[in-house]
Amino acid sequence: MDESEDVPKDFIKLKSEKLSVDEVSELVISPCCGAVSLFIGEFNISELDLWVCCCSSSLPSVVPITEASVIIAVSSPHRAESLEAVMYCINTLKASVPIWKKEIYEDEYSWKENKECFWANSEK
Amino acid sequence: RLSSRRRRHREPAAEGCPAGDGGSMCCQQVSVLYFARSAELAGLRSETLSVPRQITALQLWEEIVKVHPRLAVIRDQVVFAVRQEYVLLGDQLLVLQPGDEVAIIPPISGG
Repeated sequence: MDESEDVPKDFIKLKSEKLSVDEVSELVISPCCGAVSLFIGEFNISELDLWVCCCSSSLPSVVPITEASVIIAVSSPHRAESLEAVMYCINTLKASVPIWKKEIYEDEYSWKENKECFWANSEK
Repeated sequence: RLSSRRRRHREPAAEGCPAGDGGSMCCQQVSVLYFARSAELAGLRSETLSVPRQITALQLWEEIVKVHPRLAVIRDQVVFAVRQEYVLLGDQLLVLQPGDEVAIIPPISGG
């Protein structure tokens, strides 16, 4: 732990290796914060395409069934704020972050579309 | 429906980008990035295109579809990201700088 423990910090990390709940939790643990709230998103076999800031590179990776695709952790002095912040993060991610998921089946695949995405076709 | 471009009296009435003109008809090289289904339809992830410096989002889409006609099928399901802001394919005027990135953004599915 470093000296600036009372200063709020944001960590955003993208990786193609397996995600660890322990590792993410440890990033937000702080003596001043009695509550840590977590969200873990899991899905089926998929390929991911995503755009990081100004980079045109993608991070193609195949995520096996029931492995975590996203982990969000927020700590706060009391639980209400961190629970609300986690919900805000996942809702905003689903509505605005340029990540695309392709679900791959035996003979076909399908690009998924979040209903939160305002430019997706509502008819499916 | 394209909005008509203003024409200076000395400009040739031709399509494309006239050389040596410092006004709004001048072209810029922009990077176009393709993601997800748009990358599959275009057959590539990125390229440099020459487009008019001032152009509406819809006109820009039509320029890109001229190069990659297969993209036409997703026209109602994409937005652009220009300098990291989402832009609908409409009449919004884009003022493009050299080297700007324009990304084609199909419906997202993160989370």
